[in-house]
Amino acid sequence: MAHGTSIQYEPVAEIGGGAYGTVYKARDTESGQFVALKSVRVQTDQNGLPISTVREVALLRRLEQFDHPNVVRLMDVCATQRSDQETKVTLVFEHVDQDLKTYLERAPAPGLSPDRIKDLMKQLLCGLAFLHSNRVMHRDLKPENILVTSQGQVKLADFGLARIYSCHMALTPVVVTLWYRPPEVLLQSSYATPVDIWSTGCIFAEMFRRKPLFCGESEMDQLGKIFEVIGLPPEEEWPTDVTLSRKNFPPLTARPIKDFVPEINEQGAQLLLKMLTFDPLKRISSLNALEHPYFCDEETSTQTKS
Amino acid sequence: MSHVQLSSSALERLVARRTFPLHRRTSVCRNLFGPVDHEELSREMKAKLREISERDQQRWNFNFEANTPLDGDYKWEEVPVDQTPAFYQDSVQNDRTRVPATPVKQKPSSDSALPETPRLDVLERLAVPESSSTPCPVEVNQENRTDKLNSGKPTHRQVPCVRRKRTSTADNNNTHITDFYVKRKKAADRKSNEMSACHLSKSPIPVEQTPRKRIR
Repeated sequence: MAHGTSIQYEPVAEIGGGAYGTVYKARDTESGQFVALKSVRVQTDQNGLPISTVREVALLRRLEQFDHPNVVRLMDVCATQRSDQETKVTLVFEHVDQDLKTYLERAPAPGLSPDRIKDLMKQLLCGLAFLHSNRVMHRDLKPENILVTSQGQVKLADFGLARIYSCHMALTPVVVTLWYRPPEVLLQSSYATPVDIWSTGCIFAEMFRRKPLFCGESEMDQLGKIFEVIGLPPEEEWPTDVTLSRKNFPPLTARPIKDFVPEINEQGAQLLLKMLTFDPLKRISSLNALEHPYFCDEETSTQTKS
Repeated sequence: MSHVQLSSSALERLVARRTFPLHRRTSVCRNLFGPVDHEELSREMKAKLREISERDQQRWNFNFEANTPLDGDYKWEEVPVDQTPAFYQDSVQNDRTRVPATPVKQKPSSDSALPETPRLDVLERLAVPESSSTPCPVEVNQENRTDKLNSGKPTHRQVPCVRRKRTSTADNNNTHITDFYVKRKKAADRKSNEMSACHLSKSPIPVEQTPRKRIR
């Protein structure tokens, strides 16, 4: 970071306070376990922390008691008052070395094996089913939020925190990606847990492709890229509560998903299509996805099930 | 016999608390626990908070206030963010009501940086909706001061220029395409060259919201 640049700007206390750009990480010398700190600064008034922040923390701690293997451990939440207007909430998480993004980047040349992908997907859906059954939606599932331990264990992170974290700083050119966002969110229709299934579908495809499936540059562009693959949905599926008309999009028909994800097997392709279903009500749920024949072993998959 | 004793002691209690029916006030408002010593309460609260902080500090051998590690079972190290999953990076709650007042705000293009964040939420509701930053920072500031910050409800904004009508309250945490219709009218002249330079001309949606792809 160039020191010089800060001179021409007013110091902004809310942002400048911490060691931005570094993360505190520690090893417990007794257990050998790694932890990392994530701080969130929350604005307060004379009544203290916003009640919704308190609720979110309570929810996270309650979920923690289930000790789900596919959810990142939240070890502690520590609050310190920094001023009358600001409280720093420090979340102590278990530290995992890499996320799915780097995991995919580091995978040697041909990419991940089909079995590895299946295992990762199964764990991802397990974690998601757990969150969904506790009425928590992630809303921002992406490879960066999926941690992968050195043993290949998947751990979902960053869920439920949307309420605690505000947006990332508006002062930096950090902008949250659109690439994993489902049509109903892009269209500003109502949404619920199926949003995460859409994102999971995008990630599923990305595991094979080793590059994202839909790289839109704006909401419209994102929708356009989606329809290029799944086709323009029929009029009756277009949500009624949205301002954007279906007529704004060219009448594309669906293309075979294998054109975009050639390495995927037949059952994987079927599951992927069920995840990338336009209508959130018709989209497969995480529990049903786990029951999909794609996850059956080779032996059992030959047995026909009705 | 025993029940006589009981009822008399109950009577005493009532008398002692001055809630005996004879003394009943007409108002439903009763002071059940005596007057509150606010100063004492505040002192106790502060002591309790200090206690909690000290416990946190001991447990993790980390001074959360100063953000510095201490000696203990945990061996702390500072790791550059690019060597650790992005998830662990600190989040800064950005009080947008103050941001427009600072020069830093002008650094990124506000049009492209602000509206693209979907993690708007409680804090966003407490702060200002992105669209209001340019038109009326003054009102926003005033409003934020008088606002009940911890009401946690999205419905309390009275700023004339902030929230446009939105169909559902459940998902107004996200920035959506339709937000940009209005915005476009305001920003059309300013942004038209940018727009035409970009793509998807058949769309009625301006493309100034193009997210930067640093993070995906």
